[in-house]
Amino acid sequence: MDNVYNVDIVAGLLGAFEQAVLLTVWRLADGRLGSRHSSRSSGLSHPPGHRGAVYATLDRLEAKSLLDSHLEEGTPARAGRLRRYYHLTAEGVSAMNESRAALERMWRGAKWPLESRA
Amino acid sequence: MSAKSPPRWLERMLVLFLHSRDRETIPGDLLEEYREEQQPRLGSIRANVWYARQSLSLISFWNILGPPMKRLLIGISVFTAAAGAWLAVMENLLKHAGYLERTFIAAAIVIQAAATLLFLAFDGRPIFRALVSTGSIGIVLFGASAIQRILKASYC
Repeated sequence: MDNVYNVDIVAGLLGAFEQAVLLTVWRLADGRLGSRHSSRSSGLSHPPGHRGAVYATLDRLEAKSLLDSHLEEGTPARAGRLRRYYHLTAEGVSAMNESRAALERMWRGAKWPLESRA
Repeated sequence: MSAKSPPRWLERMLVLFLHSRDRETIPGDLLEEYREEQQPRLGSIRANVWYARQSLSLISFWNILGPPMKRLLIGISVFTAAAGAWLAVMENLLKHAGYLERTFIAAAIVIQAAATLLFLAFDGRPIFRALVSTGSIGIVLFGASAIQRILKASYC
């Protein structure tokens, strides 16, 4: 039964981009995702014009209760506009751990890198 | 020296299309990056282009359906439904030649407007999205056929 994969394992996985966003928030001490500082320091870069995908993913993860956020006063560089800080919830940490474990289970027994069988 | 900023109209346009929870934070993120990185590196004109591109990436379909555009769409749908209903009632009172066909068209317009309202009320669930898309195609086809008949009639 080694070659049979339970589709539920895959269905419950977070998407790759979702995992990248969650991992970035976890890595950042201050949770300033979305700002120049966080994008650069975390390695979560986005091509010009794709910023919307980052914010949409943050909203989605917050709606799933995997992330939580709070507002703080803005700096003069932001003209005093509020800044949103994100942090992982317990559910977020659990979902990341489950996703990682599921991927490892899926890859178990397969020699990496895969070689072509054609 | 005063801090450089992107054009006010660009900032206002961005704010208009954002949800209320993001109206301070996202323009703040963009302004911070504009002032600290893009403007010194690219100069004002190219930094403004950068700001415009970033703003466009944030204006998605769902943002457009968010307030205040959602309220506008609700208003248009209610007006369209009322106009369609009025048309159907008048056609049936006056009973001019071909009134049944026009009543059917008016009913389709009312149904389409109602489907759009349901779509908005239920946060764009797939079933209502399919209903609205199908209805929209139907209305467009009705409109196209009506225009075609008008054009043909005027050249006969």
